[in-house]
Amino acid sequence: MSGHGGGNKGFGTRAVQAGALAVTFGLLYSATQLTPQLEGELGTVAGVGFLLLAGTLLSELLETIGLPHLSGYLLAGIIGGPEVLHLVDHHTVDSLTPVNTLAIALIALAGGAELRMATIRSVAKSLSYAMAIQTVVVLFGMAATLFVVARFVPFLAELGTLPLVGVALLWGVVAVTRSPSACMGILAQTRAKGPIATFALAFIMSSDVVVVVLTAIGMMVARPLIAGSGGFSLADLEKLGHELLGSVSFGTTLGLALAAYLRLIGQRGLLLVLLAVGFGLSDFLRYVTLDATLAFMVAGFVVQNLTAQGPKLLHSIELTGGVVFVVFFANAGAHLNIPLLRKLWPVALTLCVMRGLLTYAAARLSSRLADDEPIVRKWGWSSLVSQAGLALGIGLQIAKSFPAIGEGFSSLVIAAVAINEMIGPVLFKLALDRGGETRTAEAEVSRTSLLPPEAA
Amino acid sequence: MSGGIAVLLGLLVVAFVSSMLVGGRTIRGFGLPSGAEYLVLGVAVGPHGLGLMPRSMVQIFQPIFVCAASWLAFVVGLGYLIVGRRRVHPGRALAGIALAALVGAAVAGALWAVAGLLDIAQGFERLVLAVGAGFIGCETTRHTVRWVAERHGARGVLSDWLADMARASALVPVLALAVLAAVAPHAPLTTFTPLLRLAAGLGIGVVMGIVATVLLAREFRRDESWGILLGTTLLAAGVAMRLGLAAVATLFMMGLTLAVASRHRLELKFMIQPTEKPVLLPVVLAAGACVEFDAFPKLWLVVGLALVVRLAAELVRGTLLSAFLAPARAAGPRIGLGMASTGSMSLALAFVLSVRVAGPAASAVLLIAAAGVLLGEFIGPAELRRALERAKETRADEAADAAPHSLRQSVFGISDFPASDDESTEVR
Repeated sequence: MSGHGGGNKGFGTRAVQAGALAVTFGLLYSATQLTPQLEGELGTVAGVGFLLLAGTLLSELLETIGLPHLSGYLLAGIIGGPEVLHLVDHHTVDSLTPVNTLAIALIALAGGAELRMATIRSVAKSLSYAMAIQTVVVLFGMAATLFVVARFVPFLAELGTLPLVGVALLWGVVAVTRSPSACMGILAQTRAKGPIATFALAFIMSSDVVVVVLTAIGMMVARPLIAGSGGFSLADLEKLGHELLGSVSFGTTLGLALAAYLRLIGQRGLLLVLLAVGFGLSDFLRYVTLDATLAFMVAGFVVQNLTAQGPKLLHSIELTGGVVFVVFFANAGAHLNIPLLRKLWPVALTLCVMRGLLTYAAARLSSRLADDEPIVRKWGWSSLVSQAGLALGIGLQIAKSFPAIGEGFSSLVIAAVAINEMIGPVLFKLALDRGGETRTAEAEVSRTSLLPPEAA
Repeated sequence: MSGGIAVLLGLLVVAFVSSMLVGGRTIRGFGLPSGAEYLVLGVAVGPHGLGLMPRSMVQIFQPIFVCAASWLAFVVGLGYLIVGRRRVHPGRALAGIALAALVGAAVAGALWAVAGLLDIAQGFERLVLAVGAGFIGCETTRHTVRWVAERHGARGVLSDWLADMARASALVPVLALAVLAAVAPHAPLTTFTPLLRLAAGLGIGVVMGIVATVLLAREFRRDESWGILLGTTLLAAGVAMRLGLAAVATLFMMGLTLAVASRHRLELKFMIQPTEKPVLLPVVLAAGACVEFDAFPKLWLVVGLALVVRLAAELVRGTLLSAFLAPARAAGPRIGLGMASTGSMSLALAFVLSVRVAGPAASAVLLIAAAGVLLGEFIGPAELRRALERAKETRADEAADAAPHSLRQSVFGISDFPASDDESTEVR
């Protein structure tokens, strides 16, 4: 997710990139053909290199037809992944989980650091209306949609009315989740600035808190409906309170620690600190059942808004993330379960279309009530379509909590997220282009010389 | 928290500390040229010490360590032809390679003979012991000449010769490792002859070097360049590892190709060089943790023999230099001992060999490399300084202001680690 900024690259550059891409595919293909018996850890290093290089090159080539870099990363992963060319095997895809953890931590840190108090104040009205209306409309709208199409879904067809209401409610919760990673990915690539970008960033980052709350409440309400016995348990609310307060407290402490580091030592060694924080603290937060995304987001927010170290933190994350995010999204592409998608696509597509329509309708309504700028009224919804790791994580959490419907539910989530993951970034990039928010950015991209100042 | 994550965090801490140490801002002038203190620290936390880093843990992270060592080879390859901003003289480079190979051949021959006589190892194991201990440990760290240049103001034709020869000597251990990987039995590329395997390992590096060169030729921006460099290096190293080839040699060739073909070679060097120490020192630490002192009976005899033959061969190297190189005449044969400083690069290569080729011979190679690093630490810099003094290429008055002396250097006469990478200032 490097901030390539596009630029006007000529035919020669594109030809070189296409040639390099062919060599990349050819080299790994030859290696896998020469040693078909070898899979697993020996392929991990090559797999990471392939995803990084092929993702970077394909994103550059797809840029010529206006597609966002994220689509290139995803496509590289899909083509090279276990379901198509099998250059990257299942073991490699699974072994890259730490990279995903790191990427999510960096995305949350960057997302929090991008949120300035002044920005939030400037869009507070829009944000309040949008959050309330989007949540209600999409949650209940998608619950109703699943309820209606349930007869076409194998694992739901035999379910009674009350359990079906419970499952539909859970589906509504999943539908409310957005993708911070896709949002940050597109904004980092385009360096967009303007009302659409500001609204998207503020909405998606703050919606994480709403999603955490909704998931807990949704599971609390759905449990007696699906199980058919017992009542509501307030223990879930206690857990939720612990998770939210604990995550905010931890994030605040981490933010202050990072700010102190930046103040005292500067950016020297920060790359390694970020790696340690991303790997180590994510593991720790999972162990103590706190929400890592929320904690890192709060940390970034604290550094940006309570100290003067925000720009330094953002700069360091940009340097680190450029590489990590390419692997993250390309791996997400390789992770796509194509056979499952082939099996469930009619239902999944119906659900995605409905989610898109509901999101659009809710955005129009909230924009009118909040009296948003015309450009936000027209395109504000576009960033809310993407779904990725957060939705998959919640789907998995629900599947574990409700084993009776778990397998089918998580499969449907994976299929729907796959579609939203591919379409969402394209829509958001299109909106930013149409809104004129990326054009100014291209002019701002600075050419960085690698020579030290005294040698340049 | 899992043990794996704990070890990973530990290595990140070491990398962090080393990035601070070589930063030049905080603790300038701290550490040894070879990073020997990290080697000792590794032994201390390894199975023979506190047991915090068992060998099984190193095996889990094996691909990461091989990648790290390969990255170091890439850095060395990228800077292979250039000292500071000056190109390495081809004649000096050839001499450096030939003399390093001579030292390596002497040690390899001795170990080959003793392995047969004492029935220590047979077949491929014997080859690993001889070639590994001989050629992997024959390089001269490029930091040693710079140390003398910095501390004692050494300047002159002989200093330049030694700097160029030390840099060129890095090719020998890398090629030795490539050969061992090519002739290894049970290699995945069963349909290839050893020669073809060797060519494939080096060829992948050249091809990916060309790919990186053309991709970086048109656009050159830091963010894109990192993606391309990391992608190409990881792909090349990963494919080489998968095919059972020496990833270290592959990436060395890739770096060398970039150094030859890319018009951005200097920018790339400035970009890549700061990563060397933060990557190197965790590898040295892990190498220390993997050192085994009881790989086979009579191990210490073999280690002692290897070190003695190495020093003798260094004297031969010095004799040849002083005989055929006019500026070296005044320095005398002991100038060869000044070239005895093996760097942590040798240690990293021996470590890669020990994790990729399990067995007592590879373990012995690692121990010999570790012992060679410590021996070179005590002998090399001091002998080099004296040799250059005899050649009248040191200037004591300039040395006083060159860099702060550490406590160890003052007390024990032990050399200090170069304050920053060896490329930021020229030897002359």
